[in-house]
Amino acid sequence: MLRLEGVSYRYAGATGKSLRDVDLSLADGEVVGVVGPSEAGKSTLSLVASGLAPRAIGGTLEGRLLIDGEDVSGQPMHELAPLVGICFQNPLTQLSQVADTVFEEVAFGPLNLGIDRIEVARRVTRSVEALGIGELAERDPRRLSGGQIQLVAVCGLLAMEPRHLVLDEPTAQLDPEGKRLVSDALLSLAAKGTAMIICEHDTDLLAQVCSRIVALDAGQIALDGLTAEVLANPRLEELGVQPPAPVSLRRALDRAGLKVALPA
Amino acid sequence: MTDLSCSALRYEYPGGVRALEGVDLVISAGERVAIVGQNGSGKTTLVRHFNGLLRPTEGRVLVGNLDTQTTRIAKLAAVVGLAFQDPDRQIFSGSVEAEVAFGPRNVGLRGAELEASVREALGSVGLDGERQTNPYDLGYSRRKLLTIASVLAMRTPIVVLDEPTTGQDARGIRTIRSIVDRLAAEGRTVIAISHDMRFVSESFSRIVVMRGGRIVSDGTPADAFAEDGWPLLRSTNLEPPFAAVVGARMGLGPTPTDRAVVDALVARSSGVG
Amino acid sequence: MLTAASAIVLGGVFWPLLIVAVAVLVPAVVAGVLPTLLRYVVIFSLPLALSALIVNLFFLPGAQTVLFRIGPITATAEGLSFAVEILARIAAISGAVTLFYLTTKPSELVLDLERRGVPPRLAFVANASVQTVPAMAERAAAIVAAQRARGLDTEGSFVRRLRGLLPIVGPVVLGSIGEVEERSMALEARGFTRPGRRSLLWSPADSGAQRLSRWVLVIGFVGLVFARTGGWI
Repeated sequence: MLRLEGVSYRYAGATGKSLRDVDLSLADGEVVGVVGPSEAGKSTLSLVASGLAPRAIGGTLEGRLLIDGEDVSGQPMHELAPLVGICFQNPLTQLSQVADTVFEEVAFGPLNLGIDRIEVARRVTRSVEALGIGELAERDPRRLSGGQIQLVAVCGLLAMEPRHLVLDEPTAQLDPEGKRLVSDALLSLAAKGTAMIICEHDTDLLAQVCSRIVALDAGQIALDGLTAEVLANPRLEELGVQPPAPVSLRRALDRAGLKVALPA
Repeated sequence: MTDLSCSALRYEYPGGVRALEGVDLVISAGERVAIVGQNGSGKTTLVRHFNGLLRPTEGRVLVGNLDTQTTRIAKLAAVVGLAFQDPDRQIFSGSVEAEVAFGPRNVGLRGAELEASVREALGSVGLDGERQTNPYDLGYSRRKLLTIASVLAMRTPIVVLDEPTTGQDARGIRTIRSIVDRLAAEGRTVIAISHDMRFVSESFSRIVVMRGGRIVSDGTPADAFAEDGWPLLRSTNLEPPFAAVVGARMGLGPTPTDRAVVDALVARSSGVG
Repeated sequence: MLTAASAIVLGGVFWPLLIVAVAVLVPAVVAGVLPTLLRYVVIFSLPLALSALIVNLFFLPGAQTVLFRIGPITATAEGLSFAVEILARIAAISGAVTLFYLTTKPSELVLDLERRGVPPRLAFVANASVQTVPAMAERAAAIVAAQRARGLDTEGSFVRRLRGLLPIVGPVVLGSIGEVEERSMALEARGFTRPGRRSLLWSPADSGAQRLSRWVLVIGFVGLVFARTGGWI
């Protein structure tokens, strides 16, 4: 269970607040999608939810981040890493650069946490198998495709066994194949009950994976509800979010006065 | 009128990788062409031949009457503007204004003409209010729009965009679509590499599909996304847009866009077609 | 490294060449890097070697025996022999350094250092900096391409090309700075800032033979120094 309570955040040196009075909760096993135009605060939300803001980047945080009911404001980043994992949109910057194989790359996090190496090896094997990248284990992570690197990054997070995952536009810089790889992985994680917050422009992807959608606008929550409802809400398009393809088509048909039922 | 043509174009990278295996392509002035295909199909290699960044291993690329094999890149850049995918591998100025002025100045624009080109370009991407802003204070999607503006300002007759919609929100995509429309209206050629099938079907009149260093299909969106073309698309890791899938399921014939679905249904219900 | 140092210590031609043969060429063959080694050594030492040759051949002070003349300059036998000594040393030193570079994996070296107590974050910085060099080179190439596409003239006069450096250096540095922030956040999110030692998956193999040869080399080197200063060789 992860919760942002009355959270406002201002980046160091910034004049305005990037998040204003945000309340967001993520229950165990829930997958929440976050949408919004660029610079609406999706990344900021991810940084706060993972603890990186303010711990790694400074800035002023008002309100509280609660994980499993506890206020974690006093805890340093390395204690939060096993509670919340965060994945970014640029696959390359997430590689440690010091691992020659995917196996070592995924092991990086748990090794940092000082976990015994037998246990680390077990965890790495488990996460690699959970995401189906077993055959990449001996490959050099720097030579993989963007989508594959993202999978390795997510594995690296899973190996720390956090109960919550935050993904900040994980498919934004990927080609269709990479997007498919990562979407499938997210689907299987959701099926296994991993609690996730996924920030994305790709509403078609979110439609498949999320039970709830939150829409951000200028740092505040504008919509928060069940996936199907929010994605069909006309307000979404006004906010600058492209609805999923079926919704767009439906709207085009409605505008033309056609009451045809679309095939499933 | 600047046409662009590739004849029997082959390209092999220094390490031995054969990226283009015989491409014949003619793009007439004013066309809107999208080039699609999986990673490694040769799309990026192909467009880098258009401004001389790469020179053919075999075959010929003509831009107007300039042979890229023997023309300096700086000279070709005045005819073919190429906007790259990653804004952070390009932006170097401390202000939006200076960044956009770099390209046009290089190709010889000065004074009032330079100022006009910068102003127009900034206007078309919606950054006219940010002239003095440091590019790194802009978010990723606006930095990308900045790099597109930097190329637009060069006023080249041919504009090539590499993955313009990647990382963009809905407003950014709308901006890019209006840029493509405006360029076409001005009679300028627009070529885009994209993996966004929806963007491609809605904004371009010609789709060139590549696979394994060759062109495997070349036609209108309706041709490219018609049901019998789907196996070919899938062989290069592409999926038809949703509208095309729905249209096929409802037996409407080729419907690459939402608009086409609407038109087909209207036609059917009024007893036509 | 000791090989290089030995070459400096020893005089004459014979010893440095022997060292090159034993401590550089043989291991190079064993490691399978001989052709690459030779190529690198030639490329990097060529300028230095050529200048050493020319300076000493023609301009060694006090040299008497004339070999041949080119106009006003005289080549001497003493000059030649001195030059050859220097070339032998250059070969030994560059050979040794190149061998080290070619046969040591940075990650292994750093891992071993960490095992011996170097703080993990220092070890990481050393390792990561080396590893990011190829990525930076690739970045730089992409940036050059993007700027050339905007008309940056890289084929004109020298001054033009010099002025053209900023649009290239700028994004290489700035982009890297931007990336550094993202990278460091990703590292922190993976517990990198946790104080204390971290676990190690494995340590580089250190056989008895390697340990023994390390001691032999050290003792041998110390012996050489003594012998030289004592005037025995």
